[in-house]
Amino acid sequence: MRSMQEMTPITEDLFRLIREPIDPLALIARVRAPEDGAVAAFDGRVRNHSGGRSTLYLEYEAYEPMALAKLREIGQEIHHKFAIHHVAMVHRLGKLEIGETSVFIAVSAAHRGPAFEACRFAIDSLKRTVPIWKKEFFADGAVWAEGEIPPLASHARSAESS
Amino acid sequence: MRVKVLFFGRLKEIVGRGEDAVDLADGARIEELFLYYRGSFPELARYRSSLVASRNQEFTPWTAPLRPGDEIAFLPPVSGG
Repeated sequence: MRSMQEMTPITEDLFRLIREPIDPLALIARVRAPEDGAVAAFDGRVRNHSGGRSTLYLEYEAYEPMALAKLREIGQEIHHKFAIHHVAMVHRLGKLEIGETSVFIAVSAAHRGPAFEACRFAIDSLKRTVPIWKKEFFADGAVWAEGEIPPLASHARSAESS
Repeated sequence: MRVKVLFFGRLKEIVGRGEDAVDLADGARIEELFLYYRGSFPELARYRSSLVASRNQEFTPWTAPLRPGDEIAFLPPVSGG
């Protein structure tokens, strides 16, 4: 018979960029521990339409080392801001079909409030600051999705013009 | 002074490559590096106002002076998620 220690699942933070399908249940299992009363998750998926047009598929690319560093920074920030236990943030790259998961975030906490808030903060920050780009493919062409200008850099640009 | 330069998204398509290396005069800033590429690829000019720059994987002002061996990236608005 295995000891209690061996049976205790590993729970820890996880930040990753991958090219294979994301396994949401594995990520939820990764962050939850017996002391957690809540796990909040965000499952970002490939929608079948954009701007009134039918989407065929998407392609994601990233500045990978910087994107990973920014994911880790978001993780540190939500640990400081919210009473959470662990966080997993995984973004997929490459070609994704309709209905596939492009990003998954799971946050564990003793109570649901911080878990929800931290999860929301994490996806909002990701969309604003992590160097990942999405190209949308339609029947009649492809476009780079309109993105957000990272706010730190906005400071840099206004400093430049002053 | 030699620096490594990275392009992403539509910039990579305009420049035709994701990575380059270039020799610049000492004291050159990121803005001058961008102007160097704009000279070869005038289409870059229309995206300048929406771009941000990073040095060694940190967002950085366009006025930042370059140092030998820097890794500079020009980043279009991000659209992950």
